[in-house]
Amino acid sequence: MPQPLPAKEGSLFRQLVKFYESKQHKKGIKAADQILKKHPNHGDTQAMKALILNSQGHGEEAFALCKLALKNDMKSHVCWHVYGLLWRSVKNYEEAVKAYKFALRIEPDSQNILRDLALLQCQIRDFDGYIESRKKILNARSQLRQNWTGLAIAYHLKGNYKEAIHILTTYEETLKQPPSKADLEHSEAVLYKNTIIAESGDVEGALTHLEGVMKANLDKTAVLELKAKYLQQLDRTEEAAKVYGALLDRNSDYRAYYDGLEKALGLDKSDAASIEKLTELYEGYASKNERSDAPRRIPLDFLKGDAFKAAADQYLRQMLNKGVPSTFPNIKALYADPDKKATIEELVLGYASEKAVANGSAEGETVPASRFEDSVLYFLAQHYTYVRSRNLEKAMEYIERLIEKDPKSVDYNQIKARIWKNYGDTQKAADTINHARELDLKDRYINTKCAKYQLRNNENDKALDTMSKFTRNEAVGGPLGDLHDMQCMWFLLEDGEAYLRRGNVALALKRFTSIADIFEVWQEDQFDFHSFSLRKGQIRAYIDMVRWEDHLRDHPFFTRAALSAVKLYLKLYDNPDIAQGRNEELDRLDPSERKKALKKLQREQEKAKKAEADRKAAAQAKATPKADDSDQKKEDTDPKGEKLLQTKEPLEVAMRFLTPLLELSPRNIEGQDLGFQVYLRREKPLLALKCILDTKDLDPEHPSVHKNAVLFRHHLNNLKEALPESVAEAIKQSFTSPPADADIAALKAANDDYIKEHSESPSHLQAAYDVRQQLDAASKPQNETDLQNVLQLDGIGFDQASAGIKLLYEWKSDANVVEAYREAAAKKFPQATRFLKK
Amino acid sequence: MAEPQPAAIQEGAAEPHAPTGSAEDRKAAAALSSLDAPTQDDDAAGKKNVDSKALGEAMKGLSVKEHAGDEKKKVVKIEASDVSLLASELEIPKQKATDLLRASDGNVLQAISSFITP
Repeated sequence: MPQPLPAKEGSLFRQLVKFYESKQHKKGIKAADQILKKHPNHGDTQAMKALILNSQGHGEEAFALCKLALKNDMKSHVCWHVYGLLWRSVKNYEEAVKAYKFALRIEPDSQNILRDLALLQCQIRDFDGYIESRKKILNARSQLRQNWTGLAIAYHLKGNYKEAIHILTTYEETLKQPPSKADLEHSEAVLYKNTIIAESGDVEGALTHLEGVMKANLDKTAVLELKAKYLQQLDRTEEAAKVYGALLDRNSDYRAYYDGLEKALGLDKSDAASIEKLTELYEGYASKNERSDAPRRIPLDFLKGDAFKAAADQYLRQMLNKGVPSTFPNIKALYADPDKKATIEELVLGYASEKAVANGSAEGETVPASRFEDSVLYFLAQHYTYVRSRNLEKAMEYIERLIEKDPKSVDYNQIKARIWKNYGDTQKAADTINHARELDLKDRYINTKCAKYQLRNNENDKALDTMSKFTRNEAVGGPLGDLHDMQCMWFLLEDGEAYLRRGNVALALKRFTSIADIFEVWQEDQFDFHSFSLRKGQIRAYIDMVRWEDHLRDHPFFTRAALSAVKLYLKLYDNPDIAQGRNEELDRLDPSERKKALKKLQREQEKAKKAEADRKAAAQAKATPKADDSDQKKEDTDPKGEKLLQTKEPLEVAMRFLTPLLELSPRNIEGQDLGFQVYLRREKPLLALKCILDTKDLDPEHPSVHKNAVLFRHHLNNLKEALPESVAEAIKQSFTSPPADADIAALKAANDDYIKEHSESPSHLQAAYDVRQQLDAASKPQNETDLQNVLQLDGIGFDQASAGIKLLYEWKSDANVVEAYREAAAKKFPQATRFLKK
Repeated sequence: MAEPQPAAIQEGAAEPHAPTGSAEDRKAAAALSSLDAPTQDDDAAGKKNVDSKALGEAMKGLSVKEHAGDEKKKVVKIEASDVSLLASELEIPKQKATDLLRASDGNVLQAISSFITP
């Protein structure tokens, strides 16, 4: 029932609303208390107070108060609206939608509530609901163009192109006179309509429409690009070629235009017949624009043999003469072709032996002769560092010559660090790059690189210190807090992975979780744009963004964090002791020593905790109350990630990472492998099988196909409870290899065959030995010997060698076995820091 | 008296801005946060080139069309037990499980195999 206020309190209430809007929270609370003193049960006031409390960070209090407000005034749309806002702020969108709908039932004409509901529906992709809300908004205020566009967007996102076009056209028809030329909103809306027409499959119609509007449109580039695309799709290639020509006149370095032009002219880079015409085409553009890189670099992709040599020679000489530092990165893509790799190597080695004098540039400019020489050496150093043409000794030789010439060069020292990195010597790499950093303390790039190398060398604290040279260190949480605020994901990832290597599982988990949190923030961030973009009229960009948000988590950073996190949770599940701060190395000690070590560990933990508490108390004593409490950020209650580690259901928590990983990056084989392991442990045989089938589809030869298939059959053979009938039947149909009647002996035999078949491939062998170990624990000694022998294979890299150590830990091998393996690995990779004795 | 509407309860504007030092920073922050707020010239801009009569007509046209496109859903008998089996074994929402079954004419085996085969 409505609770009217007397005039004085009524105006006070309006003030209260104003205070909230202008974020004057303290004054707002004061006003609310003043009203509540006289009318203690006034629901609306309580609701507003709850809203303010919530934005001050007192979420629980706010909820309690809002519920009280609802009890006092069930029929108030303000209370329900606030209730919805509170739910929204804790990201419970379903409840928020419900509350908004209640509010709307009481006050069907409230534009604010309607708008909030609509935005929320768009956020959770309830497009049917969104269309309904947009219709209501349009009905209420049809004179606003954005309300028309909004409804069209709703239909478009739902996939109903016809309605979307209809809405936009209907609005256009109501315009008395054509809008002014400077009307950006109109120009954008028209192009937006055009893209919908094209998306609906009616390219012909889109082209006709585009030609009608292109003259007046403000986005010339987009119009031309669309026109070229449509013409090409309609097979009107001559006209398309003309438009691509016009585009290239606007920007002659954009590869996509060249690709379009080639296609329109019917030329194909892989077809020998069109090479001549292609060469001519690119020569034309190269002569038209002397400074343009693309028409000179692209021909290197399709030329072959002598023609390639001549073109590469010209290109390289020009770049090296100019001293362009990015020459090598620009060239290295060609190394996929071994002939081209050899040709380039030959050419550049030739330059190195030339006399420096012979290289005056074509324009007769006086170029310092040493510049060419240096560029050549720099190129060669990078050439021999690059994975496809690696010869680290030669690379080191060249870089040393350069450093001798110019010991203060940041670039040269950076390459030297990279060479050490590729040797596997992370220590020297970190030292060298730190030296490079000290040569130019203001260079943020080298600073960042330095931090990364330090993390690769497991020096977390040092790396953070390096990063702090460029962070806002007064932020809450210091440099690390700022790196979180700035969503510096590469750092968080590398930091987490370094902690993982050091065995600090808690902090590693903490960092990976931070990455997942950042992605949540990104998803949340789109909320503002549902209304903002509409108001600004930038619809095409908005639609792109909405679609991008739908596959947000296929981002490489998320994938990397997810892979590591899921692995960690699997370990945690198999070995819950890790959560108590114990790790594999401890398990290997004999009982009395282990007890001692554990006690020491506990003592250390307690000491650290106490120090932390002291620090906090000191900080609290020092902290002065801030001007506005709402601006204060909450301190992290679990800075070390210990609570994260104590989770009772590691596999359930892991799903937060695994589900998006499998859904959005289904082509990641490692992800599928982890998915199999998680689902098997969670007893979801169908999903485990799906992971096997997906892997098989991606790469039937991948070692994890064999490993997981055998283990899955083994698992099925040893089920304690029978599967539901239809599940068993479905597995029988889709899972045939190894065959359903394969018992343990048959599986072992199949595995032995597999070992024979792949006797030269380290990763296949490692997988097969792992299978043998899991099928039969008694085969452990042989597995250990065989695993060590894998180190003697030619193709093995140090990542694969490390994988072996991990297997030994998983098998709980003896300390001396691990030690022997390590020694053998150290012999094979003498430079690699990771195999050094600790 | 009707309650005043909390006029500018703004979605998304609830987060406080980063702590700001000088008065100038605060001004900038205020300007930033009002970017998203509806301004008065929204209305004005909307009106200047609007033919309200034509709009009225257009709105009518809009509501007529609405009843046109009702599609008939395929009638498939779906067992509730099948839905819950699929939902738990494949970890999908019940709605999706129902759709999956409907697409396979209610055949559980077919539904499963269409889900797990790539």
